[in-house]
Amino acid sequence: MNNVCEEQIFSSVFKSNSKTIFNYIYYKYGNEEKAHDAVSEAFVKLWENCAKVAPEKAKSYLYTVANNLYLNVLKAEKVRLKYADKHSNTISHESPEFVLEEKQFQKKLDDALNALPENQRTTFLLNRIDGKKYAEIADMEGVSVKAIEKRMHLALKSLREKIDGI
Amino acid sequence: MQENYLAKWLNNELSGEELKTFKKSDEYATYMRILEASSKMEAPEFNVDQAFEKFKNATSTETPKVITLNPFKQFIRIAALILLMLSLSYIYLNTLDETYKTSLAERTEVSLPDNSEIVLNADSKISFSEKKWNQKRNVELEGEAFFKVAKGKKFTVSTADGVVSVLGTQFNVENREGFFEVTCYEGLVSVAYNNQDIKLPAGSSFMVIDGIVYEGNETVMSQPSWMNNESTFENIPLSYVFDELERQFDIVVKTKNVALDQRFTGSFSNTDLNLALESIRIPSQINYKLENDNVLFYAGNNP
Repeated sequence: MNNVCEEQIFSSVFKSNSKTIFNYIYYKYGNEEKAHDAVSEAFVKLWENCAKVAPEKAKSYLYTVANNLYLNVLKAEKVRLKYADKHSNTISHESPEFVLEEKQFQKKLDDALNALPENQRTTFLLNRIDGKKYAEIADMEGVSVKAIEKRMHLALKSLREKIDGI
Repeated sequence: MQENYLAKWLNNELSGEELKTFKKSDEYATYMRILEASSKMEAPEFNVDQAFEKFKNATSTETPKVITLNPFKQFIRIAALILLMLSLSYIYLNTLDETYKTSLAERTEVSLPDNSEIVLNADSKISFSEKKWNQKRNVELEGEAFFKVAKGKKFTVSTADGVVSVLGTQFNVENREGFFEVTCYEGLVSVAYNNQDIKLPAGSSFMVIDGIVYEGNETVMSQPSWMNNESTFENIPLSYVFDELERQFDIVVKTKNVALDQRFTGSFSNTDLNLALESIRIPSQINYKLENDNVLFYAGNNP
């Protein structure tokens, strides 16, 4: 029996999707607590309806539930993202000016991201941070790949314009 | 440049020509920096195991609601069912007729709602509707009973063979297999038998044995003899006498070489079996042998 009600299948669905659902809701609203709640809520709904949801549909079911949860209810807050020190071992070779300039750029990028419409920001971050393909994001949002390309294009354009001060 | 070229660029879908043009543009440097900076971005921490715990708590906090609600619903359901059954059985029992029964060698007295009295002889049964008594005084009878009817509306006794109706009187009705007898002791009794209407004045009786009607028998008694623990017979086939003997003493009567259609006139005690047996033996000129609850009547000297 290939059923989401089976605990093994359910827990594997949980492991492979919960973090992305969390990020997805966080990118939209900038609220960690609500993002955690959305993960629980989506999986509770999936568990309750496990007999009715085929395993291959489970993923889009989860995103639909999570998305509908705060639709028109929650106001977007500031999204705060951390920047990993991926080059920490090389940092000593960089000049203090360079480090400062880098920090300033990150600040500009943060502001520009928060100024983006919620759907453009979500698409941009899912692609850049979570490495999601346009097709996957299109599935989550329930729109066409082309619409996601458009959002990505507009997101990049707006970010650059904001950063370059146009 | 094609539509959404920035998105295409990220996906390495630009043509060589397009890429060249794009790289020469003023904006290219900033786009590169955006890519570089965003590649270091991290989402807030997310612990899958903790999230799973949270999910499990969310599902378990919802179950108690179900558990606490259900027993109450269940209770209401059962209570409603019991109430329904009680009221249904109450209605059913109320419409049921009152029934009184006597077994062999037993006698009972029944008071009717209007203080009329019925005495049931052995192995008899009456039933009547207590609720509808005021509208219709009707008693169903199987067997034999003596009636003292209080004055009032028409009082009827329904039997398998005929219907007896009176206004207020004392009478006896006996209805056994092949035997139907009504005796009136006071007032006037009307007997409906085979579409005939027979009026019985006090002191007279109406009798049908095996379909033959015997009318105009007189009695000087004020009540049937069985009321005084005696069974009386006047020109009755011996088989009915034995039937009555079986009913009064709860015994089994067997016969050998005895003519059962032989007529018997006389009476026997309903309390003393040996006396009763003698009362039958002497006038009928037959012998008997009693063993426990079995009596064998036989003609001649040896059984």
